[in-house]
Amino acid sequence: MFNTVFPYLLTGISVGGQYALIAIGYTMVYGILRLINFAHGDVFMVAGIVMVYLNASGIPLWLSIVLTLLITVAIGFSIERIAYKPLRSAPRMSIMISAIGVSYTLQNLVLYITGGLNQFYPKIPFISNSVTIFGASTKMVTLVTPVLTVILVVALVMLINHTKIGMAMRAVSKDFETSQLMGIKINSVISTTFIIGSFLAAVGSMLYFTNYNTVIQTSGAMPGLKAFVAAVFGGIGSIPGAVVGAFVIGICENIIKGLDIILFKAGITTQNLGLATFSDAFTFALLIVILIVKPTGLFGEKTTDKV
Amino acid sequence: MSQNVLKVENLTMQFGGVVAVYDLCMEINEGEIVALIGPNGAGKTTAFNCITSVYEPTNGRISFMGKPIAQNSPHKKMHFTYAGTMPDAFRGKHVHLTPDKVTKLGIARTFQNIRLFGSMTVLENVMTAMHLRRKSNMFTATLHLNLAEEHYMKNKALKLLETVGLLDVQDEIATSLPYGKQRLLEIARALATDPKLLLLDEPAAGMNPQETDELSAFIKRIKDQFNLTILVIEHHMNLVMEISDRIYVVDFGKLIAEGTPAEIQENPAVIAAYLGGEDE
Amino acid sequence: MRTKKINSSTLWSALVIALVYVGVFIAEQSLPSTSMLFTVLKKGATYALVAVSMNLLNGFTGLFSLGQAGFMLIGAYTYAILTIPVADRMNVYQYYAGGLVQFAMPVIPALIVAGLVAAVFAFLIGLPVLRLKSDYLAIATLGFAEIIRAIFQWNKLGALTNGSNILREFPTFNDFNIVNAEGEVVVYLSTTIPFLIAGVCIAIIVLLINSTYGRSLRAVKDDEVAAEAMGINLAHHKQLSFCVSSFFAGIGGAMLAMYQSTIQAKAFTSAMTYEILLIVVIGGIGSITGSCLASFLFVACSEWWLRFLDQKQMIGDFEVPLLRNGFRLVVFSIIIMIVVLFFRQGIMGTKELPDLFGRKKNLKREVKA
Repeated sequence: MFNTVFPYLLTGISVGGQYALIAIGYTMVYGILRLINFAHGDVFMVAGIVMVYLNASGIPLWLSIVLTLLITVAIGFSIERIAYKPLRSAPRMSIMISAIGVSYTLQNLVLYITGGLNQFYPKIPFISNSVTIFGASTKMVTLVTPVLTVILVVALVMLINHTKIGMAMRAVSKDFETSQLMGIKINSVISTTFIIGSFLAAVGSMLYFTNYNTVIQTSGAMPGLKAFVAAVFGGIGSIPGAVVGAFVIGICENIIKGLDIILFKAGITTQNLGLATFSDAFTFALLIVILIVKPTGLFGEKTTDKV
Repeated sequence: MSQNVLKVENLTMQFGGVVAVYDLCMEINEGEIVALIGPNGAGKTTAFNCITSVYEPTNGRISFMGKPIAQNSPHKKMHFTYAGTMPDAFRGKHVHLTPDKVTKLGIARTFQNIRLFGSMTVLENVMTAMHLRRKSNMFTATLHLNLAEEHYMKNKALKLLETVGLLDVQDEIATSLPYGKQRLLEIARALATDPKLLLLDEPAAGMNPQETDELSAFIKRIKDQFNLTILVIEHHMNLVMEISDRIYVVDFGKLIAEGTPAEIQENPAVIAAYLGGEDE
Repeated sequence: MRTKKINSSTLWSALVIALVYVGVFIAEQSLPSTSMLFTVLKKGATYALVAVSMNLLNGFTGLFSLGQAGFMLIGAYTYAILTIPVADRMNVYQYYAGGLVQFAMPVIPALIVAGLVAAVFAFLIGLPVLRLKSDYLAIATLGFAEIIRAIFQWNKLGALTNGSNILREFPTFNDFNIVNAEGEVVVYLSTTIPFLIAGVCIAIIVLLINSTYGRSLRAVKDDEVAAEAMGINLAHHKQLSFCVSSFFAGIGGAMLAMYQSTIQAKAFTSAMTYEILLIVVIGGIGSITGSCLASFLFVACSEWWLRFLDQKQMIGDFEVPLLRNGFRLVVFSIIIMIVVLFFRQGIMGTKELPDLFGRKKNLKREVKA
């Protein structure tokens, strides 16, 4: 039993960590702008494409990694400045539509550049290596991801709790208008949020695509949506919540992918039920259940509307 | 003997640890104009929101025409943090209607921070408020088989606009009107729901002195014309004293006085609340 | 006096619409049926219906729903499953022994059933979901569309849905053409009939919006608290709008199936919903006329007018740079972003066709948050 479930669990934890890195970008942006940044998943995908092209240009791998991080951050920053900042006083629906527009644009841009073909992700030494633990063979990235995720999250939480910009972020997410009146430079806080979010998405993309090998223009859509669900599940605006949510979703989704085999080996079913079809749908079912049962998520705070 | 239109018993509204309304008791009889006054933040609008079911009271009972429209007692988590009185008096029956049901029973209101339908004309705003008494269903309405009803709605809306003096601006966008006229439109819209009890939340706010003067006569007039009972929140004391049969005074969520305008003017607790007594 | 003015502008609008229909019919008889124009008109009519149904939710009820692709999928599948000729079923459902359904319905009743099934699904989904506020509603409806997509691909339901295989052989738009005994087309109706179907559906939505129910929906959009205080039952009216919108999205999905002649569940992605949302935005959120115009513009640009951007173009000996496969979509995305950022009112704002003929009532209707 353990031997059947373990590989799926292992992949789940790894994917969960990668989702977590994306989910933080969603949850931070939502916390501050009350915006579902639909383009965030595509920023994650673009980071993958940038890495592919940089590596193909023949520069050393370490330089490609650094440049990928920098370029992704620059893209995230520019998206906010170009597509969201002009709409700051517009109704929320307008910004969300703008985000969908950006997502559409990024996908089409990548389609144009790559010709719509799968791009092979470069092998990053060490994390691309194969290892065998408890009889399950996997890539090193599976083991690296959770560790790296935890380190980055701890660093981020320290940043938010112990630095001036972190304090500003907390203030802005509590009350946008008041913090503006208190002299917080709202634009730089928002930019910082996008920079951190994009940085983490870029790290996530390196881990994720090392795992999955190929990148295409639609690669970011599903992980993006799932990471957002993770953020909602954990209570939107809460970073630990997003991380927990991401791990839950990553693990559940991979268990479902293997559920047929697991059930079969355990002798519960005798035929293939095709349950793997529902590995994506499960995430959304979870989302709907959590929204109905506890709309504020696991760690979210309750807010009341004033009449 | 006049009938009890609205009865509020031991109403407590608590948000987390903040008690916005504390053990409020009121009775309003048919045909009366009653004022609810108090300093800013005293919980007047919260009381309105409880009466119209926007909020579910933490404790207490509200009855309209003898029937409970809200009844609750502190339960679940609130049981431990409840700071009001009589936590067990209203246990058992739990009543919480949606606001539209309350309106349908015959309570209409206006809003302190005007809430007109911004994408609609003045006339459409009033007609929208008649939707709840419609006889047509979705199919007859969609296929425009309810022309007679539409006609009736429109005529009635025009009559109401005439009553409040907004007939000439019927095709303007509601939110483009000056403040005073928007307040009048809110009243017309509330009247369109055929209420027995009308709740006015600061109807004079934003009106100029002349409009305020006209308002008191206007309120009395619509009371007679539409057979209303009126509960009004207001800060203009001249207006309050002129129109009210009785006055309730609240401060920090608590009822501190009730009586006729003359009694209230003499009441030391009221004077203290408004001018700042030593006991604060 | 005022009523007369409305009447004259309405009459003018009706005249314009009638002329469009006559134009479409004449064009269809006189131009070769392979002309790009008809592709645009057929797909445009389909998208117009779906865009208008989405506008009913987003623009007139203020419900930001992103489930449209899911309801289109339900409509498309219902239509296909009900209309594939019995003789062809063995062939289509080759992995599922001819499938479960062994009858075929006429087209128009099947379209209505397609809408009804979508509406029933919408009703069930709406019960829990419509309580959610703005962006949570958006993400929940998006999630439901994904769940529906997964269910329709599940091989255990293959006897009904053909699993992840395509459905085909059902009647398409071309079957509306009237043919003589030799199989030659006598009267071309393959564009006119879709126009009529979409037109009737859109007309019903317009009538709904202009009824007392439509006013209430707009009230819900403007201010939920005030609408409720005026006796409008929020849950009931949101549910109503959601079901009606899904009904027509279902019919739109069925029309899309007819247009494409084959369907597969995996094509109904959230990207499809985004496309329709962008059409609504380009047309103007809250304008039916805008949604219709934008649909045709959108389809014409993506299928026809901007096609040249995807091929190498030579001006004399000079090869225009950048032009290759995919460039059209890049240009297109940029145009959309410009509209979203700088022309937020879209083509029409909240104006409708009669407003263009002097009905000035709505001209000042600016939506401000």
